[in-house]
Formats: sequence, structure tokens, C-alpha cells
Amino acid sequence: EGDEMETPSLEEGGEIRRLGKRFRKLDLDGSGSLRVDDFMSLPELQQNPLVRRIIDIFDTDGNGEIDFIEFIRGVSQFSVRGNQQQKLNFAFRVYDVDKDGFISNGELFQVLKAMVGSNLQDAALQQAVDKTILGADRDGDGRISFHEFCTIVGELDFTKKMVVDV
Amino acid sequence: MELFFNPFDNLLCILLGISFTVWFTLLLVFIIVPAIFGVSFGIRRLYMKTLLKIFEWATLRIERGAKEKNHHLYKPYSNAIIAREPTSLEEEIKEIRRSGSNKDLDSASEFEMSDIFYFARRGVESIMDDEVTKRFSAEELESWNLLTRSNNNFHYISLRLTVLWWLGLLIRYGILLPLRVTLAFTGVSLLVFLTSLIGLLQNGRMKNVLSEKVHLMCYRICVRALTAIITYHDSENKPKNGGICVANHTSPIDVIILASDGCYAMVGQIHGGLMGVIQRSMVKACPHIWFERSEVKDRHLVAKRLSNHVQDKSKLPILIFPEGTCINNTSVMMFKKGSFDIGATVYPVAIKYDPRFGDAFWNSSKFGMVSYLLRMMSSWAIVCSVWYLPPMSREEGEDAVQFANRVKSAIARKGGLVDLLWDGGLKRDKVKDTFKEEQQKLYSKMLVGTQEDRSRS
Repeated sequence: EGDEMETPSLEEGGEIRRLGKRFRKLDLDGSGSLRVDDFMSLPELQQNPLVRRIIDIFDTDGNGEIDFIEFIRGVSQFSVRGNQQQKLNFAFRVYDVDKDGFISNGELFQVLKAMVGSNLQDAALQQAVDKTILGADRDGDGRISFHEFCTIVGELDFTKKMVVDV
Repeated sequence: MELFFNPFDNLLCILLGISFTVWFTLLLVFIIVPAIFGVSFGIRRLYMKTLLKIFEWATLRIERGAKEKNHHLYKPYSNAIIAREPTSLEEEIKEIRRSGSNKDLDSASEFEMSDIFYFARRGVESIMDDEVTKRFSAEELESWNLLTRSNNNFHYISLRLTVLWWLGLLIRYGILLPLRVTLAFTGVSLLVFLTSLIGLLQNGRMKNVLSEKVHLMCYRICVRALTAIITYHDSENKPKNGGICVANHTSPIDVIILASDGCYAMVGQIHGGLMGVIQRSMVKACPHIWFERSEVKDRHLVAKRLSNHVQDKSKLPILIFPEGTCINNTSVMMFKKGSFDIGATVYPVAIKYDPRFGDAFWNSSKFGMVSYLLRMMSSWAIVCSVWYLPPMSREEGEDAVQFANRVKSAIARKGGLVDLLWDGGLKRDKVKDTFKEEQQKLYSKMLVGTQEDRSRS
């Protein structure tokens, strides 16, 4: 603990305690870290098509489990006190599956497919993906960098949309 | 002649004898006799009022102490549901897209990169707090009722409060618990003994009348064994013969609460052990519906027996808890449709416990039956309200599920509980994939929808 990642913007002790309580409640086997199973015990999460992406983003050290620090950091990005940059970063990482800093055609397709399931044909999806990348890709490398991403969505006043009551 | 006992021992025996007799007489006069006749001295209500005053004092003391020491008091979530406006997936995503300043909606592409915000936010929201799992654990209290099980601020206390707590502990475990256990023992033994006796009589009016009286009396003793203070509302709507009584389920005590005010035919699985003995003797006096373990799986058999029972107007109304499991009394979960399919009149009943005196919720994954009962008997009291709602029947064109939901809403509204669509079985099982597929379908419709709009223009 205490490495170079940005510290969470939660300040009040009350919030941390609530998060702690929530963490303990989710930690069904009391192991001190949350695995996918623990999250999937929430019915409302089971119905969310992007739940795996969210868990993956929380898991910053990539060990497949989310410990308390990762939990706090993850949730704090949605706090009302979080800054725009953090939220944009989170949104970017939903798409950037392999965490290489770029959204490739395949990754965009993957995420879109998760959201629509089997309700749309792959060809139609691919069309939408190609069109989006074409519109966003400024430097012509066939993929979307964080900078290009911000240009596309950065105008949106979405700071309210990416906020959760902590 | 040798003196067997020295005079001191003699005195001790006499004292013990006297106190035992006195105690037993008090028990008889103040508790058992009123139970037989169904009257009340009002002692329990006085007790309740006194307790409330003490609790208020204790809570104020904690808050004052916490402020003095400048600690943060940990306030649990209030029970008010975080009111999320019920906007649909489509509205929310459109709003996200719209908040980009100069984009005209018609010329928007089918898919926007900002669409994921909706799912991401919903996901983190659910991680923080979801509607369903909080129903399955005991409710959190705002004020403290001197039971450490229900409060997290216990360490912020003063000497007076500690003394009070120890006193409370002494009273609860030293006086109340033995008293209650004796009463429970009396009640149950009387039930078994008397119903077996009645079983020897010929079937007829006499038998029914006696059976009713005996059942009521024993349940009333059990009610006093838990120091349950019950307020019945709208008794004119009490269930009648040939009907089905449905109620929300918080604990096995619900049965005792309802059965001490009226006579019902119980439904359930035959157990072994003490429970089984009680069940077998009860059914000698009046026709309850007990199923063997193997029969429980067979839905048709169950339905057939139930409908045979309700068609016989001389038989008592059936008592059923359609949620199928114990919920923590802040909400009502999905009703299983079986009992609503039979075509009988349904008499809904709402039961709401007052959490200030003792948490009646049975968390069956955390406590077994015996430890649960011990917890109940060592609480201060069990205070609850029972509302009898007017009878409902299935309407034209309504299927069993819709009928069940209608009854559920009525119960939830009356009892001040939250009406939830989620299945109580989620306590143990997983949600079906259909919910996720619903979300995917909705989102896809949105994408395709904009495509159609564009091709039309």
C-alpha cells in the first residue's frame, strides 16, 4: 500500500466505513478479497452485461481478485468528488480489454457484443464498430487512443452520469 | 431421635418450597389463566412502555457520549430505499448521448462510445448497494435497545450505560429466559397432551369446538412464552372456513402469532423429532395438512389436497406463507403462485414486527432453529402488528401470477413494506440468465431503432 497510483478522493471516515462494511458483506467466504463469484451473488449485477469489464478494471494488479484497496480505488472513481479525468479513464478502460492503452477494432467489437448479446448479427455489429473507429481515429493507426477517446466523448457533460452515491 | 437435617437446612427447604409455590401461583394466575380465557391484564403493554423510555435514554446517552469524545457516530443506512427514478435503459442512454452539445439526435450513429456509461454506472451502483441482498440480513437499528447484537456503537458508552447493560443482561438471561422456557414447555406439553385426548372423541361439533379452544389456549401460552405483544387490526376481515390465508414470512413465530387469534389448518412437511410429535398430535384433533417429504415435490398432489380441503366448508381456513422463505421484514418478495391457483378466496394478512424490541427475523443460514428460539426468548419482547386485509379473489382474465402479485402489493402497502419483484429464493440460488438477456435485448432494440429511424427519413 502507498504506491504511485492516485489516492482515492474519499475523505470522510464514514464513507470508508460504509465501504468496509459493504466489502465484508460481499466477501462471502471471508477471504479478504473479492472474486467474480462474490460479485455475481448480487442479482442486479448478474443482469448487467458489462460486469466482467468492471471487475477487470477494479483489479489493477491483475491477480483475478479485488482486495480492499482496489475496491476503494475502484469505487472512488465514481464518487461525486472524483474528477473528470478519472471518469474518462474508467470509461476508456472498459473498452481497452488488454490494457495496452489503445482500443482496437477487436476490443470494441467484444464490448459491443457483450452489450447486445445475440440480438444483432455480427455483420451489423462489425459495421457499427468500423464506422465508430473511422470517425474517431485521427492519426490513422486503426485504433483509438485515450486522447482520441477524450475528443469524442469529452464534450459530454457526463460527470453527473458517472456518479454513484458512495 | 436423630435430627436428619440441621435447623438451617430445614429453613432453607421451607424457603425454597415457599418461593417455588409463590412463583408457580403467580405464573398460573397472571399468565396461564388469562391465556385460557383470552384476556390480558395489560402487564405486557406497561412493560413495553417502560422499556421504550429506557431505550430512548440509552440512545441519547450514546449520542451525547460520542459527541463529547468527538467520535464519528456510525449511522447505518436508513431504511428508505434510495429512490432511483424508474427511467428506462433507452431514456438514460439517450440522455447521455444528448448531453453532447451540438449533436442532433437524428444524425447520431447507431452506437455511441458513451453508451457504456449507463452500464458502468449501474454496475458500480449495484456493487455499492443493491435492493435484494439487503433484504436477507437483519435490519439495522437507529436507536439502541440494549442488545449488543443490534448496534455497532457499543464501545462509545459511559459507566451508567454499562451498568444498565449488565442489569439488562441479568434480567434477560436470569429471570426472563427461565420463565419463558417454562412457559414454552408448559404450552407445548399441554398442546400435545390435550390434542391427543381430544383425538379420542367422536368426530362432531363437540370435538371441533373443544379442539378450537385447546389450540387457542396453547398458542396463547406460547405467545406469552415469547412475551409477544401483538396488536390485531381489522379483525372483521378474519379468514373464514373454505378460504386460504396468506401472509408475509419473517420467522416461524408468525405461525404462533396468527394461530393465537384464530384457528387455521396448517400446511407443511412432516418433520422428525419434537416437531413431528407436535404435528402428529395436532392432526388428531383437527385436520391439518401435513405432507411426507416425498410428496412435497409433487405439485399436483399438493394442489389437489389443498383444493380438497378448501372445498369442504366445514374445515378451517388454510394458512400459507407464499414467499417460501424468511425475509427480514423490510419488504415482501415474490409469492409462489401455487396457492393462488386453487380458486379459493384469499385472505391476505400483513405482519410487521417492531424492530426496537428484538429482531424476529430468522436468518436460517446463520442460526439454527434452537439458537434462534433462544435468541428470541432472551430478547426483551416481540412487538408486532397484524393487519387482516379484506378478502380477494382471482378476477376474470387474471392468471395465478398476476393474482399473486396483486395480493403481494396489498400486503406490502398495508404493512409498510417494500414490494419487490425479486424471488425470495435468491437467498440461495442465482438469478436466471434471462434478466441479462432482457438488458441486452433492450439495448439492441435501441441500436436497431435508430437505424430504422434513419432509413425512414
